[in-house]
Amino acid sequence: MLVELGHFALVLSLAFACLQVILPTIGLLRSNLALAQLSRPMLWAQFFWIFVAFVVLMNAFVADDFSVKYVASNSNTELPDMFKMSAVWGAHEGSLLLWALILSGWSVAVSVFSKRLPGEVLNHILIILGLISIGFLLFLLLTSNPFERLDIIPVQGRELNPLLQDFGLIIHPPMLYMGYVGMAIPFAFVLSSLIRGQLDSTWLRWSRPWTLVAWAFLTFGITLGSWWAYYELGWGGWWFWDPVENASFMPWLVATALVHSLSVSEKRGAFKHWTVLLAIAGFSLSLLGTFLVRSGILTSVHSFAADPARGAFILVFLILVIGSSLALYAWRASLMRSSNSFSWLSKESGLLINNILLVAAMLSVFLGTLYPLLLDSLGLGKISVGAPYFDAVFVPIMIPAILVMVIAPFLRWKKDTLVRSAKLLSPVWLGVGVLFIASLFIVENTYVALAVFLFIWIMLHSLALLFNRVRQNGQLGLAFIGMILAHVGIAIFLLGATVTTQLGIEKDIKMDVNQPITVKGYQFVFKGVDSFSHENYQGHKGRVEAYYDGDLIASLNPEKRQYVTGMPMTEAAIDPSLARDLYVALGESLGGGAWSLRIYYKPLIRWIWLGGLFISLGALLAAFDRRYRLSVRRSKVGS
Amino acid sequence: MSMMIWMGVMLVVSLAWIFWFLKKPLADSGVDLQQSNIELGKQRKLELQTDLEQELIDQEQFDQALEEISSTLALELNQASAKKLSKSNANIWIGIVAILLPIFTIGVYQNLSNYTPTSKVATINSTPLSLEESAAKLKQHLQENPKDVESWKMLGLSYFELNKIQESIKAYEQAYQIDPKDPRLLVEYASTMISANDDQFTGRPVELIKQALEIDPNAPDALYLAGMFAVSVQDFELAKALWSKALSALPEQSSDRQALVSILQELSRVESGNISNTVTVNVKISDAVLSARSPEDFLMIYAKAAQGRPMPIAIQKLPIKAFTGQVVLSDMNSVMSEKLLSQHDQALIVVRISTTGSAMKQPDDLQVVSEVVNIADNPSVTLNLN
Repeated sequence: MLVELGHFALVLSLAFACLQVILPTIGLLRSNLALAQLSRPMLWAQFFWIFVAFVVLMNAFVADDFSVKYVASNSNTELPDMFKMSAVWGAHEGSLLLWALILSGWSVAVSVFSKRLPGEVLNHILIILGLISIGFLLFLLLTSNPFERLDIIPVQGRELNPLLQDFGLIIHPPMLYMGYVGMAIPFAFVLSSLIRGQLDSTWLRWSRPWTLVAWAFLTFGITLGSWWAYYELGWGGWWFWDPVENASFMPWLVATALVHSLSVSEKRGAFKHWTVLLAIAGFSLSLLGTFLVRSGILTSVHSFAADPARGAFILVFLILVIGSSLALYAWRASLMRSSNSFSWLSKESGLLINNILLVAAMLSVFLGTLYPLLLDSLGLGKISVGAPYFDAVFVPIMIPAILVMVIAPFLRWKKDTLVRSAKLLSPVWLGVGVLFIASLFIVENTYVALAVFLFIWIMLHSLALLFNRVRQNGQLGLAFIGMILAHVGIAIFLLGATVTTQLGIEKDIKMDVNQPITVKGYQFVFKGVDSFSHENYQGHKGRVEAYYDGDLIASLNPEKRQYVTGMPMTEAAIDPSLARDLYVALGESLGGGAWSLRIYYKPLIRWIWLGGLFISLGALLAAFDRRYRLSVRRSKVGS
Repeated sequence: MSMMIWMGVMLVVSLAWIFWFLKKPLADSGVDLQQSNIELGKQRKLELQTDLEQELIDQEQFDQALEEISSTLALELNQASAKKLSKSNANIWIGIVAILLPIFTIGVYQNLSNYTPTSKVATINSTPLSLEESAAKLKQHLQENPKDVESWKMLGLSYFELNKIQESIKAYEQAYQIDPKDPRLLVEYASTMISANDDQFTGRPVELIKQALEIDPNAPDALYLAGMFAVSVQDFELAKALWSKALSALPEQSSDRQALVSILQELSRVESGNISNTVTVNVKISDAVLSARSPEDFLMIYAKAAQGRPMPIAIQKLPIKAFTGQVVLSDMNSVMSEKLLSQHDQALIVVRISTTGSAMKQPDDLQVVSEVVNIADNPSVTLNLN
């Protein structure tokens, strides 16, 4: 019965989402206060009932209620409770429910923390968010009902994908969804402004902190995903240019451009076209990413056609969101005519170049991700687009973007001169030159040399910016510190990614018991393999000892697991440090006690995720800057 | 409380929430859009002033930017035309919502849900189906879905539990025809055939166990059965190796582990000649019976639980001609690894002569049952077949 009540709660949440749209719209059209002000209570009720549905579904997992098809398909009695709970978002239906819950959660946050927004503006924003909720709740209820019962109840459920039975995967999807869904907020701000015909300072100012928070979550979610892929997939990679990864990376690139574009629009009234289009593109790409991952289109284009109802709904929803947004944009384009001109050498120009480069980079990823799918779905053959394409196209676009990224903050708004800029930046460039030449004495690899140059470039520019700011007025706002942190994060990431890719050592070898092997000065000794068993898997655990200068520095126990469904899994053993990771994965038994092992030496790999954390932290700090605590005088009328 | 009442409660709470806020609307933030834009314009000017002081811009740029801020603000103030909201009567909306919300939610729910108040699914948690009902339901389902291998397996298991061994075998055979590569199915099928064959490991069951181990060499159930087969051919070393492998393959929390540990200990005791918890059964067969039966008839001597299922706990089966007058039942003869003889407090000892050797008692079978015996006492029982 509880499951049916959960399903009914979901229907109630749909009803409240409809009321959140219909009644305040009528109220705003008829100037009826009681109806217009219903947007917030209707939203809160919508959130409450989705939350109830979510808790009911989670309870069905914990209680092993295999009469629920979704539970039977993704959980069994042997699964630890922690993974039973996270199994809720382990497949399509539950992850969409989480999507809907997070969307309503974001909306509630906007309704509660937007006290500086005029009531009418807030009501419009909540109406847009209600419309998006309706789309997702209808998608859930009509094509992806997580509460569907089975006529024949299995004694035991299926296994949750072993890849998902991991702590990283418990938190990675919610964080990523926080980012994806968070992009709905600037989108709703933009759409409400377009509908009202008031593309003013208010929406620009108050949508920025929400965009920054969403961008922080998106960055954190992608970073977590990369970290998980590294330690869980068993072959030590941190980014594979996989379509699923690209699906999250595209909105991130656009959100990065949006954060910067908003800054110019808000402070100088320029780039409004950019800002509006980026907000629409950011959310559209988030939708596309979610649907690409969850519709099954990426694993096989044919699974898209295999479920016509789900596929058709996805298409219609995407067309509605993108089409209506662009139609609104075209309708209101005249309102965005900006007379605020700027010179080719100015802060605005720097940010514009970066926006163009970021969007070009996004388009290169978009093409590489969707073109093979399009060809396949049209029956024009299969092509594989992998790392060589992205390395050749994406990386060259990003190098100038990184160069400009740290110069733009030094430039003046509107117009600057080459003389002033050169005078200001020449000591920094001198420092960069000296340090780079010094680094060439220890760096032999060309790509690493380039990464070192960019690292020094970003770090010295950021330090100089910090130094100048302190020297000028000594005041460091959170937005400024956030910017410095985010840029330093890019530098850290860049160096880590290049060094680990170029200088990492990978050995796939056969090892007999007590056989040693030396990798980059570290001696690894294989001590054998033990069998073991756990709640829902059994397997073999290797014993590998790592020595440096004759001292034992780590005992590594890589695992090869066999889950109850028969799915094999490799659990690598890692000795982590900021300077390097020692990574050992167990391969196959080769008889006579010998095993195949993968032994990797990964220099600076932790810097990749450290960089991601810096960017997230920087975005969060910027979102809480003092300028977003501006008090606006409140009128007594209307309350 | 029934489902419908709970749905009613949810609806009433929802309606009360809406009515409350229709009657007592939330206060507006009180922030005026024009005022908001003015304040933001002021802040921009202040920031511009700071930029000038920090020499981030010169006076000319300051003047130009100031002009832009002013013109932008003027444009925004021109655009802003917030409507004043009035406190109109919303009573009519209370009526509309009160009618439409229940119609919408119940209508949508009934269209989307496979729930009906009388359906089996809705009551499954409160009144679970009996085994017979479950088997009948499965049989009915399989008539419409004859390729549903999971349901064939469930039907086989249900029949086994109902002690309908031949029906169980037929169901498993159907499942086997659909999916002969499922190791769990192969083990269950073999196990059922062994039960039907009075725990004799001959013929097809052995082949099925081999197949299961070829597909999954670490399947604990298959390893256990293979160990039982090894015992039946007196290869204790092999049995020990197989059961040890099964033990390492079982999860640490598995309830089968303890049973397997016990059986391995028992195996060690057998090897060392130190057997514990045995039932010595002396059978005296009268001359009249012996002359009436064929020497090829089977003598089945087994212990069964004093209460509960009639399945044997431990059994020995041999032709009358091979019987020497006494058998000793121990854990080694246990039928199921998780229900060893020594794990039972009490048991009944059954001796039966059967022409067919079938597990099911046939009309011409001759059978005698003992009084309840305490297993821990290592009892010795004498039964007469007259």
